[in-house]
Amino acid sequence: MIRLTIDDREITVPEGTMIVDAAAQLGIDVPIYCYHQALGPLGACRICLVQVEKMPKLVTGCTTAVQEGMVVHTRGAAVDKGRKGVLEFLLINHPLDCPVCDKGGECFLQDYTFQYGAPAGRYDEPKIHKLKDAPINDFIIIDQERCVLCQRCVRFMGEYVGEEQLLLEGRGVDTVVATVSHQPMDSQFSGNVIDLCPVGALLSIPYRYKARPWNLEREESVCPHCPVGCTTSVTSREGHVIRVEGRPVAGRNWGWLCDRGRFGYDFGYVEKRLLNALVEGREMSAAESTRTVGRWLDAALTDRGPESVAFLVGGQQTMEEAYQVARFSQEVLPGSRTAMVRTVEGYLPSGLNGSFQDIERADVVVYIGGDPYDAVPVVHLKVRERQRANPGLKVMGVGAYELTRDFHGAKNFTVKPQHQAAFLAYALAQAGTKSQAVEHLASQLGTYVPSLLNPVTPEEIQALGRTLLESEHLVLLWDGKEPEMESVLLALRAAREDATEVLPTFGPSNWRGWERAGIPAHFASLQTIIDDAAQGKISVLFVVGADLLRDYPDREQARRALERVDHVVQVGLFLPEEVQLYHAVVPGAGWSEVYGTYTNMEGRMQVAMATVQPPGQARPLRTYLNSWAHALKKSFVLESEWDPFDDDSGDFVPRESLPELRPVTVPEPSPGTPPGSLRVVGFSLVMEGGMPSEILAPRVPRFPGRISPQDAARLGFSEQGGELQLEGTMGKISVMVAPDRRIPDGILALPYGIHGSPLNQLGEGASVKAVRLEEVSLG
Amino acid sequence: MSQGPYLLRNQVIADIDQIDVYEANQGYQPLRKALKEYDPKALVEMVKASGLRGRGGAGFPTGMKWSFLPNDGRPRYLVVNSDEAEPGTFKDRELIEKNPHQLIEGMIISSYATGAREAYVYCRGEFLYGAAQLKRAVAEAYQHGYLGENILDSGFSLDIKVYRGAGAYICGEESALLESLEGKRGNPRLKPPFPAVAGLYGMPTVVNNVETICNLPPLVENGPEWYRTMGTEKSPGLKVMSVSGHVNRPGNYEIPLSTPLRSLIEDYAGGIKGGRQVKAIIPGGSSVPVLTADKLDTPVDYEAILAAGSMLGSGGCIVIDDQTCMVAVSARLVRFYREESCGKCTPCREGTFWMTDVLERMEAGAGNPRDLDLIRDMADNIAGKCFCPLGDASLGVVVSAMKYFEDEFEAHVTEHSCPMGARLYDTVNH
Repeated sequence: MIRLTIDDREITVPEGTMIVDAAAQLGIDVPIYCYHQALGPLGACRICLVQVEKMPKLVTGCTTAVQEGMVVHTRGAAVDKGRKGVLEFLLINHPLDCPVCDKGGECFLQDYTFQYGAPAGRYDEPKIHKLKDAPINDFIIIDQERCVLCQRCVRFMGEYVGEEQLLLEGRGVDTVVATVSHQPMDSQFSGNVIDLCPVGALLSIPYRYKARPWNLEREESVCPHCPVGCTTSVTSREGHVIRVEGRPVAGRNWGWLCDRGRFGYDFGYVEKRLLNALVEGREMSAAESTRTVGRWLDAALTDRGPESVAFLVGGQQTMEEAYQVARFSQEVLPGSRTAMVRTVEGYLPSGLNGSFQDIERADVVVYIGGDPYDAVPVVHLKVRERQRANPGLKVMGVGAYELTRDFHGAKNFTVKPQHQAAFLAYALAQAGTKSQAVEHLASQLGTYVPSLLNPVTPEEIQALGRTLLESEHLVLLWDGKEPEMESVLLALRAAREDATEVLPTFGPSNWRGWERAGIPAHFASLQTIIDDAAQGKISVLFVVGADLLRDYPDREQARRALERVDHVVQVGLFLPEEVQLYHAVVPGAGWSEVYGTYTNMEGRMQVAMATVQPPGQARPLRTYLNSWAHALKKSFVLESEWDPFDDDSGDFVPRESLPELRPVTVPEPSPGTPPGSLRVVGFSLVMEGGMPSEILAPRVPRFPGRISPQDAARLGFSEQGGELQLEGTMGKISVMVAPDRRIPDGILALPYGIHGSPLNQLGEGASVKAVRLEEVSLG
Repeated sequence: MSQGPYLLRNQVIADIDQIDVYEANQGYQPLRKALKEYDPKALVEMVKASGLRGRGGAGFPTGMKWSFLPNDGRPRYLVVNSDEAEPGTFKDRELIEKNPHQLIEGMIISSYATGAREAYVYCRGEFLYGAAQLKRAVAEAYQHGYLGENILDSGFSLDIKVYRGAGAYICGEESALLESLEGKRGNPRLKPPFPAVAGLYGMPTVVNNVETICNLPPLVENGPEWYRTMGTEKSPGLKVMSVSGHVNRPGNYEIPLSTPLRSLIEDYAGGIKGGRQVKAIIPGGSSVPVLTADKLDTPVDYEAILAAGSMLGSGGCIVIDDQTCMVAVSARLVRFYREESCGKCTPCREGTFWMTDVLERMEAGAGNPRDLDLIRDMADNIAGKCFCPLGDASLGVVVSAMKYFEDEFEAHVTEHSCPMGARLYDTVNH
């Protein structure tokens, strides 16, 4: 630790701390443009000049590390003159067009000029002109004249994200920020450069000319689109959400968002939004619908009892809403059942659930099943940041295709679908541990020997097992696809002495929160209800927030269930797929319209404030529950506030003790995929299958399916890709696919929930016949 | 002990750029001697004892620089800075174009001394001929067994690669050079870490100037005591001075350090053209302050020139006669820095841009009296506030010229004309 004095106040900070950060800890604001803690020092803008005693010149506070006994002055005549000079230089070629700049009012160039700048300029020469209002992709516009060349955007994309899509072009006063080869930026992290830009050079296109800071409402929120639960700040004006920004939380996250989270906020008011109730084909007010639904419920109770009523929770519901459903089920309809809508079948005991802090300490990160880049994008950045801090970090992938992208020194084990749990159990068994749990696991494997899709030696499998058992801080990211993985993970935890943390990358985003609120999370609970419904045992089925046909892994079974239920009632923001199967669809309120708590993949509870009113007839869930209870002439009184937070576990949901190990079934040696067929592997892609967004439409991948380049060539596709027709035992779909070198031959990776190309029509892991659809000439 | 010249033997031996001629004139003998008679440590000690200082501009003791390399088993690199682009400096150009083997021999000796197994020459982009000469000479050296595996059966191996820059003065700054050599944008790096600790590809790296390395063969041949017979205690040895400007015989001259400026100009460079008088001298390349004619008796060594108010720098001596307008000189040189500023830091990028505009306006007769204070204040806002030395370098001439020739600057803004009778540009349309 280093002790120093800043502006006559003493502070002790760790070695290597920069003066600006030490000052910030004392609440002393040293102006900065180019410096960002996540990116490290650069020293380009020179605005952070400070005076250090015994140093001959002013120094930049962002590049000067503290030293024992240092005496720093962050103000004073020399410092102020230096900053005034830098600001004057920054402004000579700046267009001074604040009145038409979206950044006006929240701009560091304005703020510091106000604080340190000269009242009038001395610059009489002609200014340099550069590009203005040039889009760098569908979401971001650049104004090179306003740019102060702090390089934050360039460094973020290149060094931090690892997708070099921005660069500096030209030199000297002609230097500009531009995209590489002047091609649009297509990184899914592109929007962060808007937050990073300290001036009005990089601006959001959807937010363009929408508001001034003084006619905005800004509320703290949490991104609902994936299980990461990024902290956000939601800007609204006159009842519309018009912007989402990342919200850094000191010591926890930098406030990065993916473009899905940043720009996908318009689902609240897109044209498709449900504004009225639809009951048996007739539009009506939400209030009227409650009486009809109440009658159905009443009849069901009278005729078949509360056991014939079930509630399915999904979508973006808050913990509070899930709690209301659970209470309603218990108190108003005791005997009725609840479950949450799941896309994958796996479950992770909370005792195994790690946190993002574990990634910050990790030596080994193992991706199981899916690539976090697709499913939980910001986690990819967290792992990258860890590798920057610890170049020795090992990143490994165990999945049906390569999962580790361009991580340095990464290793992939490409394992057939449904074999991954058995493969990991096998790897552990090979490592030669004396752990009872692993031996127990091994004893179930019998003579099983995995066969991999990429060349891997037995020694490498053994080394994987040893790495899993022996690494000091192990973090696993699991896509939840193979339920048996739970036992493997439990055995691994039992066999290891050091930290073993698992982060579930599967949705629904808030599943852990609903579990905490009393909704059963295991797939079996859902499956029983669906199967019962398909057998006609359910009279009234409430589907809250979810789209059952889209999300349930077996689309045909879900359809049978909906067909056999007397009355299906959907509460949601949009019409579900095949709306004719629903008897009532009533407009619900969603994210940004209700206050509530979300639990992310760490099991961390975070509060999102309401910022706007639900549109049209949309009502918060609790309004419907109250009305339905009222229609049944029952009292349903909820405490005004349910506090989901636990006394002992703070922000986290309490970790429960670990369950017993369940057996791992040895997978049947899967029959070789017949020629001309592909095996379907589902994966979560945040850009697909979520809430509709008009803003995001250009970013939704045109070719969401991925096949190996060899298969693509065999099927006659160009490098760009094309349309593939798939036929399985369960049905037939067509989907746009493109070659991807990470996919092994015979595998088709397909995102869940593509509109019009539902994977659950084929079935996870199914072998399907694949033919290329000839391109139809429009000539 | 042989007679000089030592570094510029090309001026007296024809075709020394050819390896057979070079070898016939004791070429590669010092290398044999170094590999045979010295271990690397002894060579470093010898360079330390010689007092050889870096000839790129900063004058940092070479032996000391070499001894900063950490002994941690990581690979080391030697990088020779041949990005000579300072106006007024053209010594490295002659050294690589006319006698490339001398540099290569020096590089092998230096690499042996510092433990580098790979060495690079970063050649200025515009040195097409120089780069071609070097590449040819490197190929010859490989053929003759001076490069590659197990050089002259010494067990020492070395590869040399010649890399051409893309035309940026800033890449003469060692950390920008390393960035460029790595294939990145040539912007200076944050220091520390210094190249000795984390240089090329993050490995310990020595970056030396061409002339510095060219000193190695004669040094090994003649020994450090010989080197110290020339120059002063703190500035021993030889220096190649590039003399340009209003002299009768501009060119490169090898002088023992502490030769007086007057002797350099009159005896070596043949005096001022047309019998005119010296008005000012820029003794060390365009980045250093001007000296006035009363400083002509200053000895050319690091300390004496510093005491006289300037710097020896790279040894680019620009002689300015009494017919020259110092505003024009300043404007021309500041424009160079404006063009060459990399754009990374604000004061250099914007300051050189603005100052050029003001100086050119003054020169064109469109200045006003406020401009003098403006330039001084601008210079104060640049000085010591830039990321790398380029910003400060842009001020060397203009600030000193304003100090010594204030009346000339004043005349430009009060009379709107040049007292030196320099041609006025169209002032109406400016």
